[in-house]
Amino acid sequence: MKQAANNIQAFLSSLLRRIVPRRAEEGPAEFRAVFEQFKEVLASNNHALETITDMGEKLGGEYLFDIVYVINAHGRLKSDMEASLLAFDGLTQRRYPSLRHVFGHIDGLISGALAEAPDGIIRPVLFLEDIPWGAEREVGGKIAHLAELRNQLHLRVPDAFVLTTAAFDAFMKSNGLDRYRAQIRQDSPPQNELLRELRERILTGTIPPAISSELQRALKRIVGPRGKAFLAVRSSAPDEDGAHSFAGQFRTVLNVPPDVKAVEQAYREVLASLYYEKAISYQTQTGYDIGAMKMAVGCMIMAEAAASGVLYSTAPDGERDIMTISAVWGLGEAVVEGRTEADLYVVRKAKAPLLISTVPGAKKSMIIADAEGGVKELDTPEGLRDKPCLTSEQAAALAGLAMTIERYFGVPQDMEWSLDAAGTFTILQARPLGVGTHDDNAASANGAVPSDDATSFYPVIIRDRGTVVQRGAGAGMVFIARTPEDIKAVPRGAILVAPNDSSLMVTAMTSVSAIITERGTVTSHMAALCRELKVPTIVNLTKATELLEQGQVITLVAGEDDRSMIYRGAFRELLAQAARDGQRMENVYEFRRKRYLLRYISPLHLVDPLMDEFTPERCRTLHDILRFMHEKSVAELVLRARGSGSRMSRQAAVVRLELPVPAGLVVMDLGGGLSRQGTERKVTFDQIASIPFKALVRGMIHPGAWQAEAVAMMAQDFISSMMRMPDITAATDSTAGYNVAVISRDYMNMSIRFGYHYNMIDCFCSENARNNHIYFRFAGGATDLTKRSRRLELIAKILKEYGFNIKIKGDLLIARLAGLDRAAMETVLDQTGRLIAYARQLDAALHDDRAIDRYAHAFLNGTYEL
Amino acid sequence: MDKHKIMVIDDEKIVGDMAKLSLEQEGYEVETFLNAEPALARLKEQTFNVVVTDYKMKGIDGMEVLRTVKREYPKTTVIMITAFANLDAAIEALRGDVHDFFPKPVKIRELKESIKRALQAA
Repeated sequence: MKQAANNIQAFLSSLLRRIVPRRAEEGPAEFRAVFEQFKEVLASNNHALETITDMGEKLGGEYLFDIVYVINAHGRLKSDMEASLLAFDGLTQRRYPSLRHVFGHIDGLISGALAEAPDGIIRPVLFLEDIPWGAEREVGGKIAHLAELRNQLHLRVPDAFVLTTAAFDAFMKSNGLDRYRAQIRQDSPPQNELLRELRERILTGTIPPAISSELQRALKRIVGPRGKAFLAVRSSAPDEDGAHSFAGQFRTVLNVPPDVKAVEQAYREVLASLYYEKAISYQTQTGYDIGAMKMAVGCMIMAEAAASGVLYSTAPDGERDIMTISAVWGLGEAVVEGRTEADLYVVRKAKAPLLISTVPGAKKSMIIADAEGGVKELDTPEGLRDKPCLTSEQAAALAGLAMTIERYFGVPQDMEWSLDAAGTFTILQARPLGVGTHDDNAASANGAVPSDDATSFYPVIIRDRGTVVQRGAGAGMVFIARTPEDIKAVPRGAILVAPNDSSLMVTAMTSVSAIITERGTVTSHMAALCRELKVPTIVNLTKATELLEQGQVITLVAGEDDRSMIYRGAFRELLAQAARDGQRMENVYEFRRKRYLLRYISPLHLVDPLMDEFTPERCRTLHDILRFMHEKSVAELVLRARGSGSRMSRQAAVVRLELPVPAGLVVMDLGGGLSRQGTERKVTFDQIASIPFKALVRGMIHPGAWQAEAVAMMAQDFISSMMRMPDITAATDSTAGYNVAVISRDYMNMSIRFGYHYNMIDCFCSENARNNHIYFRFAGGATDLTKRSRRLELIAKILKEYGFNIKIKGDLLIARLAGLDRAAMETVLDQTGRLIAYARQLDAALHDDRAIDRYAHAFLNGTYEL
Repeated sequence: MDKHKIMVIDDEKIVGDMAKLSLEQEGYEVETFLNAEPALARLKEQTFNVVVTDYKMKGIDGMEVLRTVKREYPKTTVIMITAFANLDAAIEALRGDVHDFFPKPVKIRELKESIKRALQAA
């Protein structure tokens, strides 16, 4: 029996540690210092975020700016970030040393983007494994992406090296071709004769000896033990803004034998293709300055291709649930160039991707590598024509790879792949899929609000309400999203309407036409994302979810100075005009070049802190780093508050809170949490000054929420609970003080245990919505495992209705809600308080799964009887 | 009726490019210059309604442009923009009879309105 008791004790202790891990114990003075450090991190983070917002605004196209502004803003941002990192290191006791390295790397990229010439010497030849993140300007977009797939995601890509823009510079200079480029920049449009001459000179130019010998070494290395290998020589242009993919513009030379002369010839051909005449029309359309462009050239081992093809990780019409794969026998060129009818596979995206349809293609011909070099087209052998290129397992496996890539880059992908005879996939290329983010359903950048007489056919539903975060126009069906699940379900082209703003919306941003939220600010994380992705957005439009109806078609026009209009119906003329206006500034090359540095600053990749990918290494931008610091600071605070709590209660540095219900709470005031005369050791509800704590406790003592009688436990429940009875004869140190609240005016951290379950709530509730969070942990339960997990499901169900993000691991539930303003937060805290009271005795009552819905429903309706 | 002509002088290409694009949207004819010498030479050949100039430039600076224009082409309005906005510069320019003065970054809409007002007053 003693053994059993010890086991139970050990089990309980480990359960306690999981929910409230112990830290070196600190007393009240130390915790106060920790709390101050926490606020410091928040303050400098906010500063930095404001600078980021300012840069986004000034570089958004509505301001004339110059390099002086950019340099100054960057300077401010850099010192804000350094102040944050310092405070963060102090708070977390230097637990994240790699964060500084990541910051240094990203800041280096920003400085590089600012300078006309990149810092440092880049080598003329680089292998994929040696390419650092962010090197697009040296190696081009195509190769940079491939390097990322290999180095960050560890996916199988062809072995490859690249002749960088440094090689391009050296080649152009040594052959005296820079004057041609200068001439092209001056002439508008460049003369065809000039282009032809330049191409001639390139094709007959000499490769500088230094480059040639580097190339030789690279070829030796890449062929290596293989013995024999052929290369695909492809262009990789530094697409400075990532918005233009140059698809099909430049030359690719396939199946080049690995000898220096052949590769050099292919290299020259690819370089010359930069100056094809069709480059001119591309230039006029997109505002690229062909005379200023440089070209990197990748040399990749030709993947042995039994079958190859293309994959779009979102259906071309934008349906986000499915992806499409085309496949042919042999090399993928047949698909890419549309030379033969390919198999089409449609796969549903899920944890286990599911092939939902196969449409076999005629596949009359195929392209294969010629043993001598080059490629040839031949008829597909009879036996293969009707055979599908991929089995359903293979299609699902490929889909899985695509989902990984899509999740990593955060946007739908257009991929080229190949399959070898052994059934292994190689990814040849992955680039953002140009799914009409803003096609005829939306337009960005310049929503000009039209005069009234033009709109007589379209009644105005809402006018000039809310704050415009991103100008533009969009039309579509209203979709009201209240929970994270809802956000995932937003259909393409819809107008997303939500009570609160949330950075989780980034997953929907490339699909929606516009966003409207009832709350929110222009400086929130979500706002930064909307601006970055140019999604027309209005925040702070109170009662939007009541004024608009689910499924209603509307047109939103968000203009300057918070002027905005929402019309009933789809006002197409307006959208077309806004689209035309919006595109133009993007075409100013210099504008795009300067904006380029924003890509290392504004986009947010770390969205969900409950996911495992929330690490310093995943930070790609300064915004990511700020986000990381904020979340880890909250986590740190929670940890340290817990440690202080038990020591404080033992030191009797706390006061008892007297409530109408027996919650057994003691309170430690950091400052401003209680209003009391003198040093009395007891306080009542009315003396609570802490805003979040008061709201939570109000909920806990709400009439009816706290069940006075325990629900009758059934026989087996009783036995279960006996087995888990703590050994009350043991020293009570580890279990004492479990109902402790550490509070201040804007902050609370409470651990409260009832019987066999534990709740922990941490909440920061200030005037600045961006700083606010609620963190809630719940574990354990008295009865058997099934009923315990039902209780978790019930709690999760209820919390989701309030917008919490939930994660459940075994019998531990973690819920998180951030970015709410104070008033909204108090409402949620009140409800959470009621839930804590309500859930106390539910264990035994949840006899079956249907009971979950019943009790959730009852709770949400304000009925608390069991 | 002839289109109004605007001249933009700024030593940074991006300012001229962005200004040109935005002002052309309003229906103006725009010419841009990276420094003041060729700009002043051009003024001899062609009348411009408005000259938008940077305050601080190498060689001939904004104040000199202002003085020259006021002396030689009194019907032409001058608007000054500058990255180094301070009170002294503003006073100096205003004394030189500049129509308007904007610190950079300049909100394009405000520039457009200032130009519109200048053209209406003329």
